[in-house]
Amino acid sequence: MTKFLIDCDPGHDDAIAILYAAYHLDVVGITTVFGNQTVEKTTYNTLRVLTLAGLDIPVARGCGRPIIGAAPLGDDAHGKTGLDGVDLPEPDRAPVGAHAVDFIIETAQAHRGALQLVAIGAQTNVALALRREPRLAGWLAGISIMGGTAGVGSLKPMACVNVLSDPEAAHIVFSSGVPIRWIGYETTRTVLMTLDDIARLRTGGRVARMMAEIAAWYRERQLAVNGIDGAPMHDSCTLAPFIRPGLIRYEPVPLAVELAEGLARGMTIVDRRPIPPGTRLSSVTPKAPANVEMAVAVDRPALIRDIVDTLLTY
Amino acid sequence: MSKPKILIDCDPGHDDLVAILFAAKHLDLVGVTTVHGNNTLENTTRNGLISLELGKLDDVPLAKGCAEPLAQVQLEVAAGHGKSGLDGAEVPEPARKPIDQHAVDFIIAMAEKHKEELILATIGPETNIAMALKREPRLKRWLREITVMGGSTTTGNFTPAAEFNIACDVEAAWTVFESGVPLRMVGLNITRVTGFDEADIARLRASRKRAAAVIADLMEFYLGRTRAAYGLKVATMHDVCAVIPYVYPDLITYLHTSARIETAGAYTRGMTVCDLRHPSGSAAPLLRNRTEPNALVAVDVKSRELIDKVLDTLIEYD
Repeated sequence: MTKFLIDCDPGHDDAIAILYAAYHLDVVGITTVFGNQTVEKTTYNTLRVLTLAGLDIPVARGCGRPIIGAAPLGDDAHGKTGLDGVDLPEPDRAPVGAHAVDFIIETAQAHRGALQLVAIGAQTNVALALRREPRLAGWLAGISIMGGTAGVGSLKPMACVNVLSDPEAAHIVFSSGVPIRWIGYETTRTVLMTLDDIARLRTGGRVARMMAEIAAWYRERQLAVNGIDGAPMHDSCTLAPFIRPGLIRYEPVPLAVELAEGLARGMTIVDRRPIPPGTRLSSVTPKAPANVEMAVAVDRPALIRDIVDTLLTY
Repeated sequence: MSKPKILIDCDPGHDDLVAILFAAKHLDLVGVTTVHGNNTLENTTRNGLISLELGKLDDVPLAKGCAEPLAQVQLEVAAGHGKSGLDGAEVPEPARKPIDQHAVDFIIAMAEKHKEELILATIGPETNIAMALKREPRLKRWLREITVMGGSTTTGNFTPAAEFNIACDVEAAWTVFESGVPLRMVGLNITRVTGFDEADIARLRASRKRAAAVIADLMEFYLGRTRAAYGLKVATMHDVCAVIPYVYPDLITYLHTSARIETAGAYTRGMTVCDLRHPSGSAAPLLRNRTEPNALVAVDVKSRELIDKVLDTLIEYD
């Protein structure tokens, strides 16, 4: 049976994704990384979420900085703590001793061919693990990624935080040869938990009510910063293909990360030109081979309903 | 009120020809200038003259412009338009010649003559426009607006990120987009789905007009090429989309926002980086990495209505 390891930076939508995953899937570990906030804060938030839900999943703390340069944090969307708007319990546990990079490698080795990595923060840990252990790419069953965009952006006009946070890491991961499922911000920003959904969560138990507060704060902030009326479930989208296959439709595409310094640094460039295969023309650069399965359509109501239903079972 | 004055800088090209004929019927077309791009300057100039003769536009002067981009390596000719840049119809060699003035000087002269009135349409590489802006610093104040066919808010065609007109001369595009002249940009996100299908070409033929018959032959060739080369469903009328808003303002929807040209980039050189986040309302000041709006960027189109209006116009020619 497939095991899952979530590399994340909670983060409001990360918190909900962890609970969504843990109920349905065999989550064998969580690793933390900077992104929505510093790695200290995202680790603390992960531990608090697991404590709240009483989930016994090992947490390994990872990288606090990108491979190169400085990291823009996504704190405009998640606040000072990275998980503003809710009073979660203090953690009743600590991270494991191993660094996230080692933990990813060890877990993949223990579950060779059966581990799905879910990368929903900056991809620094995953990239360093791929470099540290060249066999890792062969051990992984796949990586499901939220980050980047094939359209509108978040922190930049056409770029999104998880890839902008560490473009070099994203390049390493996307070019690793591991089978990749990818969903971009242009799609996840439309998968919204609405006020009605939040009201439904408020009718649930303690965990669901806490998640309602998280979603409510996140919605308010999204409305103020991005003009989006709803809490986008960016990160849970990466889990849908394993929990409810069929809710997201994927298509193979070539994807490259722009690393050069310029307006477009940190952009994910997806080749969706409809040029017929085998076309060789001087005025059209050739299409590279597909390296990711890109999410192109989502059954939004069904996915949101499933997330809310799941949170209500806690 | 008199008709808006427009000067078209182009690289004909099948869709350029349609843009010229459409503009001439509805607007005060004060001139056509030619540039390298879809084909060599020699061929685009010849094809520009053919376009004017086809429409019997004897009063519209044509000035020949730049044969090469400002700085970069010249791209190969475009695949969609055939060897001559306007393949598909039997047309006589043009009897007319270009005027003696260079396109760059002609653009400046026309803008000075029609101060604050002239719309400059750039529907090929933007080399002539960039040169004119550098040559005459006052040009940016003289122009009413520059309307650009180029770029994309989504996918490109030359590369995944870059559209051909911009890719042909990225530094020229940068110069135009950073000029401060009010810009209107219609990109591939709109024009890729706006074009003629077989029924439209049949309608041109059924009109039994001389010009429409020639255009139908041209478009049949072009439709075949756009399908085979680019995998598109229609003979894309990219260029006329830059002219449409001055005749039918409701067919294309624009967003006033920032559109910038990426000049660096291993994968993105020549990309139009457009800010489609939320440029209006209270949210805007909270957005990071925001730059001042410099363009009206086309984000939606009524393709069918637009194409019908273009067909109506082409059929008006004898």
